[in-house]
Amino acid sequence: MNATYDTPRRLILNLEMDEVLSSVAETIKNFAVIYLVDISEVPDFNTMYELYDPSTVMFFFRNKHIMIDLGTGNNNKINWALKDKQEFIDIVETVYRGARKGRGLVIAPKDYSTKYRY
Amino acid sequence: MEEDIDGDIEDIEALNYDDLDNVSKLQKSQRFTDIMQKVEAALQNGSDISNHGMVLEDDPEYQLIVDCNVLSVDIENEIVIIHNFIRDKYRLKFPELESLVHHPIDYARVVKKIGNEMDLTLVDLEGLLPSAIIMVVSVTASTTSGKPLPEDVLQKTIDACDRALALDAAKKKVLDFVESRMSYIAPNLSAIVGSAVAAKLMGTAGGLSALAKMPACNVQLLGAKKKNLAGFSTATSQFRVGYLEQTEIFQSTPPPLRMRACRLLAAKSTLAARVDSTRGDPSGTAGRSFREEIHKKIEKWQEPPPAKQPKPLPVPDSEPKKKRGGRRLRKMKERYAVTDMRKLANRMLFGVPEESSLGDGLGEGYGMLGQAGSGKLRVSVGQSKLAAKVAKRFKEKSYGSSGATSGLTSSLAFTPVQVYISKHEFIGANLML
Repeated sequence: MNATYDTPRRLILNLEMDEVLSSVAETIKNFAVIYLVDISEVPDFNTMYELYDPSTVMFFFRNKHIMIDLGTGNNNKINWALKDKQEFIDIVETVYRGARKGRGLVIAPKDYSTKYRY
Repeated sequence: MEEDIDGDIEDIEALNYDDLDNVSKLQKSQRFTDIMQKVEAALQNGSDISNHGMVLEDDPEYQLIVDCNVLSVDIENEIVIIHNFIRDKYRLKFPELESLVHHPIDYARVVKKIGNEMDLTLVDLEGLLPSAIIMVVSVTASTTSGKPLPEDVLQKTIDACDRALALDAAKKKVLDFVESRMSYIAPNLSAIVGSAVAAKLMGTAGGLSALAKMPACNVQLLGAKKKNLAGFSTATSQFRVGYLEQTEIFQSTPPPLRMRACRLLAAKSTLAARVDSTRGDPSGTAGRSFREEIHKKIEKWQEPPPAKQPKPLPVPDSEPKKKRGGRRLRKMKERYAVTDMRKLANRMLFGVPEESSLGDGLGEGYGMLGQAGSGKLRVSVGQSKLAAKVAKRFKEKSYGSSGATSGLTSSLAFTPVQVYISKHEFIGANLML
């Protein structure tokens, strides 16, 4: 289970992540569902999850937030546009496997320490 | 033995006889003339449908048709004999012609047209042969090594050609007759392949029951042309199809499906022939239903494959990995199994400090290996199951690669010694476990 939080104001940049999410949705529908949340309409969680970036992807499993070690320093979310579909699917699968085992923190298959960009 | 040789010589001489009548007897025979008369009479009378009620075998027409089938086969053989005769005579004049024109009737026609003419530009072969072959024939004729025939030989050759053509015409008549009666004789077969092809099939097989006894693969090949004309490519030759090639069903299938259609046709038409030979279905409905089946099958083959649906990924870890078992896997796993030495090294005796590779508690610990009270005097590295294989490979690598080893060296000299390690050799040595 995961959710994305998007601001509509910077649509052009966000569409990259939206594109990836929509193309992946059918493929991973057996174990993950994608929710798109507009943070200007639903601002209730902005402070709680620190949602300030153009696009943010967070993962939840049975109402528990799952952290991912991406190498970026911020384990709570992916706050850049991940362009590669297969990478994204890999991350979702890793999160699923770890979460089912009961882990609260999973290690992403790929390291994004020097590579993440807005 | 000698009699056989004499017999053979006689046969060869028979072929050289000047008189065609000694070789080809069919046309003069009584049987031939009888049947031809009946056929002509029947052709003029038209088909008589009132005979349906009678049992087939009693019907005189049926008997006539059976005779016609046998006769057509005989006529074919006769034509071959006459063709040989013509060929032998005409060899003196134009030897290359026989390899250019294979079909006996075409050959006879060409011989008749050319006659004794040496210059082929004066001879018009239009309509007798395809234009490509006419060209080849003209070119070869200009360089031929033949000489004009003497008058009487020429006359005999022309006579033989006439005979061949007459036989061919007779055969055509017989086939036409059979074809017109086809829907009466074999309604199911003609419902599938059409009466012309059915008549040809029956004629070549030598009768309806003969056709019914053939397996379908033979039926497929009835009437198949084998030889390829000189110089023409075999790339376009349709392989392994006979008279069935002329059926409407075959012609209307797209080329990539033709082989499969041919096999299907052959199978169903054999079934229909069997039904007909036992008169199981005089109305022909079985044949029509076969035809429908064939059409449906060919339609189905031409359907496009179902569109590929993008499959969603399965839930991770939901399908347990298919683990294999068995001897092979066990042997494979042995290579990575924990050895006895390592097991001993992993354990420790209570109250007894273990020895280590660097001494004093530094380095790798040896656990129970080499300890006095461990109950084992020595640890034998006796895992011969694995070590034997490894040793053999090692041996082959180091000793087998040099080709200079003479055949007299025995492998016994290189057997690795069974290692038993004493405590002293141990300290400081690498634990190769």
